[in-house]
Amino acid sequence: MNTRENRLMIAAHHEAGAPRIAEELRLYGVNRVVDGIPVDLRADPLKVLEELEKSGIAFLIPEDVDWPSQLNDLAVPPIGIFVKGNIEALALQSLAIVGTRNPTPYGIRAAQEFAAGFVDREWAIVSGGAYGIDSAAHKGALIAEGATIAVTASGLDSLYPAGNQRLFEEILENGAIISEYFPGVVARPHRFLVRNRLIAALSKATLVVEAAFRSGSLRTARDAAELARPVMAIPGPITSPTSEGCHRLIGERSAELVTSIADAHELITSLA
Amino acid sequence: MTLGRTQAVALQGLLGSVIDIECDIADGIPTYSLLGLPDASLQESRDRVRAALTNTGQKWPNKKVTVSLSPAWLPKSGPGFDVAIALALLVAEGILPQAPLADAVVLGELSLDGAIRPVRGVLPSLIAGLKSGIRRAIVPRANLGEAQLLEDLEILAFDHLSEIYRWLTTGEYDFPEADAYQEEVSELLDFADVAGQPRARFAAEVAATGGHHLLLIGPPGAGKTMIASRLPTILPPLTQEESLEVTAIHSISDGVNSRSAMSRVAPIIAPHHSASRASIVGGGGRTIVPGAISLANRGVLFIDEAPECAAGILDSLRQPLESGSINIARQVGSVTFPAKFLLVLAANPCPCGKFTGKGHGCTCSSLQVRRYLGKLSGPLMDRIDIRVTVDPVGRVDLDSRDLGESSAVIRSRVIAARAVAAERFKDQPWKLNSEIPARALRLDFRPEKAAMNFLHDELDKERITARGLHKTIRLAWTLADLEGHQLPTLTDVQRAFFLRDGMEY
Repeated sequence: MNTRENRLMIAAHHEAGAPRIAEELRLYGVNRVVDGIPVDLRADPLKVLEELEKSGIAFLIPEDVDWPSQLNDLAVPPIGIFVKGNIEALALQSLAIVGTRNPTPYGIRAAQEFAAGFVDREWAIVSGGAYGIDSAAHKGALIAEGATIAVTASGLDSLYPAGNQRLFEEILENGAIISEYFPGVVARPHRFLVRNRLIAALSKATLVVEAAFRSGSLRTARDAAELARPVMAIPGPITSPTSEGCHRLIGERSAELVTSIADAHELITSLA
Repeated sequence: MTLGRTQAVALQGLLGSVIDIECDIADGIPTYSLLGLPDASLQESRDRVRAALTNTGQKWPNKKVTVSLSPAWLPKSGPGFDVAIALALLVAEGILPQAPLADAVVLGELSLDGAIRPVRGVLPSLIAGLKSGIRRAIVPRANLGEAQLLEDLEILAFDHLSEIYRWLTTGEYDFPEADAYQEEVSELLDFADVAGQPRARFAAEVAATGGHHLLLIGPPGAGKTMIASRLPTILPPLTQEESLEVTAIHSISDGVNSRSAMSRVAPIIAPHHSASRASIVGGGGRTIVPGAISLANRGVLFIDEAPECAAGILDSLRQPLESGSINIARQVGSVTFPAKFLLVLAANPCPCGKFTGKGHGCTCSSLQVRRYLGKLSGPLMDRIDIRVTVDPVGRVDLDSRDLGESSAVIRSRVIAARAVAAERFKDQPWKLNSEIPARALRLDFRPEKAAMNFLHDELDKERITARGLHKTIRLAWTLADLEGHQLPTLTDVQRAFFLRDGMEY
């Protein structure tokens, strides 16, 4: 059996983002990890690959030339990623735009503007496909006719949230939707946090537009900081609860304050 | 004489029909029959009339008494026919003359001692009477204010049945003092009371000027209700015609005399969010009464805690918002009430109300926060022109000794800006900027070129829909009127754009 089939079997059997599996893969290699899966629980990789191909899903592994190598910087790199849409979009330099699911019109506008502005500078936009800032970022990129990548916390057969179905279809026209979760896996709260590290790793820099005091977006920002990728945050009014997380990042010096697309672009290019 | 005639009015909605009341006293077994589809409260009039007559020194005829209300097919309801029946009976007995009552309508409910109680719907009843050639009206004293609004009628107001006897037999009548039109708004409410809140104040001013519907979002105690309840104080006074319309509707609703009949102040109606659909749009069984939207006609309909409204209640406002009227169909027939109002909605930012400032006290999940305001979204929000965030009041605002602008100052600006709009629309069927039809916006009422370019840009970026574009232009016209611009400038349009979204500008 080849590496792709082996990795597929591991992905089918183990929850994505598990540090123990990543450690075993690093120390002992793919074959030893497969051996650890009881024979009667092993999926039939050929059949699975055939089904994936039928639903237009590619399974990308680190050994592939198309593999976005920036993911290897992760402490717990994915076993493989499932990709729908345009695989080439993963090769573009990209900016992650993340934030609250309950944005203000100000946040929506900022997310769209920055997404469109970076697309104009030939960047791709990475986000999570959720409502709010995520949707605004994807939309901004689409309006500027650029590529955008949604990293989801569920299998690619049941994209979450279902209400964004139209958006997902539009994303697929030029960009891609990726996930490290096996088709059939549904979104659960802890999977969003695991997924956030992919968003941070896939992109050159992360921009937090609006985030509440407790927000998953702050986790993405922390993940990006751990990878030594630039983190930026857009300030808001001090009276706005949806900007509180951004202010916290800026206050803790975890994020650079940016107020314009040009600022942000200069910051990233000078650091990178 | 054994036959007496008087006239009264039966109302259906705001439309009245003059009812002929005939009373015949004939020999036979002493009975009393009331004909012509009376409802229970009208059927009970027999006992009230009988007691009132005997208690004012008259004798009840021990004969066969037949009272007929015609046209007989029209259902009639309510106690408002009592006085008319009593007078018809006395005329039939030959105690009172028929002539002075020939071209008069008689309205009023009797109490057992002969006192005349106020009734609902005096103004629309008299308007109906006037249309069918009535020249004189006998009304309860308590309803005099309303009745006086009709200057073409001779109004006679009485407190007691015995005063009517005196007038009919001797011609003596004490003219009660006429009430004066109440131009000034209540001094208790004034915008000067509102501490700080420059944005919300401005939004209220714009809403009042152009008739734009308003949504206020803010934490409890920030002053949303204060601002909404002061809106009538900055709206221009009603014209006499509008005042008549408003008084007529209030007159047929349950709250008799809750509003002065002579008031020129725009009404404000604030139904609780638990209100039923019938109480909001109007309804009822035998008598169809207007709902909150019709009582708020020519004024303000304020719904606090709008997301707490039961499903469908807010959406039932959509059709009246478009047409300015509401048609209610029931078994007894269908009735149209006017419902042209300024809608003001207020909402907390989240179910617990604390998602503001640093948001640390908020216990709601992000899903709850999104769902809460999401209850307002969709077609209704499309009709809201201004969305404004009301921040909690800071200590500087509360401590500040210089009060904000008073209602009078704001009102004078509103009136001036409305006059500019009225001049512009003098050849058009509409009066307010919020009413400009989309077609006219594309032809005669376009903003400056630069402003249109800005809007087309936003349209291209899908940040605004075609409907939103039109709404923005209407709002920009109001801003231009307030600023004294001939045409909406780029700044006006940009401000309108941000005002619509609730963004800082």
